[in-house]
Amino acid sequence: MHIAEGFLPPAHAAAWTVAAAPFVIHGVGSLTRAVRANPEAKLLLGASGAFCFVLSALKIPSVTGSCSHPTGVGLGAVLFRPPVMAALGTITLLFQALLLAHGGLTTLGANVFSMAVVGPWVAYTVYRLVRLATASLPETTSLGLAVFCGTALASIGTYSVTSLQLALAFPDAQSGVLGAFAKFGAVFSLTQIPLAIIEGLITVVIVRLLITASRADLLRLGVLRRTPDPEPTDEKAV
Amino acid sequence: MLPIDVAAYRSPWRRLHPAVKGTFCGGLLACALLLPAWPGAVLTAAVALVAALGPAGVPPGALARAAWVPLGFIATGSVTLLVSVGGSDTLVAWDPDGWRRAVEIGARASAALLCQLLFAFSTPLAELLPRLTRIGLPSALVEIVALIYRMLFVALDTSRRVATVQAGRLGYASPRAWVRSAGALGATLFIRSYDRARRLQHGLECRGYTGELRVLVEEIPLRPAAVLAAGAAPLAVAATTISYGVLL
Repeated sequence: MHIAEGFLPPAHAAAWTVAAAPFVIHGVGSLTRAVRANPEAKLLLGASGAFCFVLSALKIPSVTGSCSHPTGVGLGAVLFRPPVMAALGTITLLFQALLLAHGGLTTLGANVFSMAVVGPWVAYTVYRLVRLATASLPETTSLGLAVFCGTALASIGTYSVTSLQLALAFPDAQSGVLGAFAKFGAVFSLTQIPLAIIEGLITVVIVRLLITASRADLLRLGVLRRTPDPEPTDEKAV
Repeated sequence: MLPIDVAAYRSPWRRLHPAVKGTFCGGLLACALLLPAWPGAVLTAAVALVAALGPAGVPPGALARAAWVPLGFIATGSVTLLVSVGGSDTLVAWDPDGWRRAVEIGARASAALLCQLLFAFSTPLAELLPRLTRIGLPSALVEIVALIYRMLFVALDTSRRVATVQAGRLGYASPRAWVRSAGALGATLFIRSYDRARRLQHGLECRGYTGELRVLVEEIPLRPAAVLAAGAAPLAVAATTISYGVLL
């Protein structure tokens, strides 16, 4: 849910840009340090950014019968960590504004704060907590649960922050910011809550497939901590 | 390629320096946001639309298709302002002043959106990105941004091809199949993106890659007269709006 160009008053747009700036600067610092330490990382970071952009452009079914798009921040945060996602997310949002007209340039700061800062941090925090809480479960189950909860709550967190940004900009005449937050939240929750659940399910499918097809990358990125439970196969007999 | 990028490469304004287009569109954007919505936003929208469909050569169909999603957000957000919640009589009540705010914000945001679209539809990103170093962004960051831009078209192409194959196998015939197919598509995309990046790395290393990816950027002369002319239109909009307010 991108705030369109010009929808926020200039003072609010500037304030959200200032709020997002430290996270983005920190993320850009992480990126440049990674590239300096290992020039090979440049191409992988390019591939990661392109992956984030295309992931956010995937069509997923919506309750209204139409199609919508995932935020992609949950999977991005789990794979690349929140500081890197702050930078990659900002680049993705800039491209979305200039190549797809989703979101704006003056509202880039507000969109970055909700989608590239709050979303990834919510996803990563929930992911880590669920991983700790389910440490005794088999690795794939623990990972699946953590990824689902992290992604779904990141999506809901993102949309809640967007509702708050709109509520602060346009407080309700009678009930102020709180009433406006309830109003915007209610309108957008019709599509965003089911979307969050669907995005969580899709991300679990992605991670489960990656465990079998790209285990080395998941180990390198620190997503997998130990060998997953062996699948029941007849290979031993062979 | 994406429709906006295709139109940007075909635009007659492509040969204009990005700073000239930035002055014109940025100035109009400032008019949309800072001037009174009537007549400021309406005038700004009119100037941006005439410039887009006239000299900038933006295809009307492509412009309408690009504007559809953000206009949906603007409409939904503006409609929310028509009602008020938490009153003493009813939970949700009609806000008598709400329509005024909704129209003002809708007009302002629509005008701003047209300014953004005009810039996007006339400026290819490949020509804009290498110039970002001149405004002080770290070169390592600009290189990564340019790499992402180049790689995303290959990733988008992969995504479309995989989706077509999945659709041919009824992969999107039901919501359940849709979730499974979208997940498989995301995983395939990750694997292929990384594999392609590694192969690109090996190819570059074989050609003496030192960690710097240099590309030729076509030099477009920046004429001060063009920048001044670009700034004249927003100034005219501002002057007309202010005069209108003073005369009333």
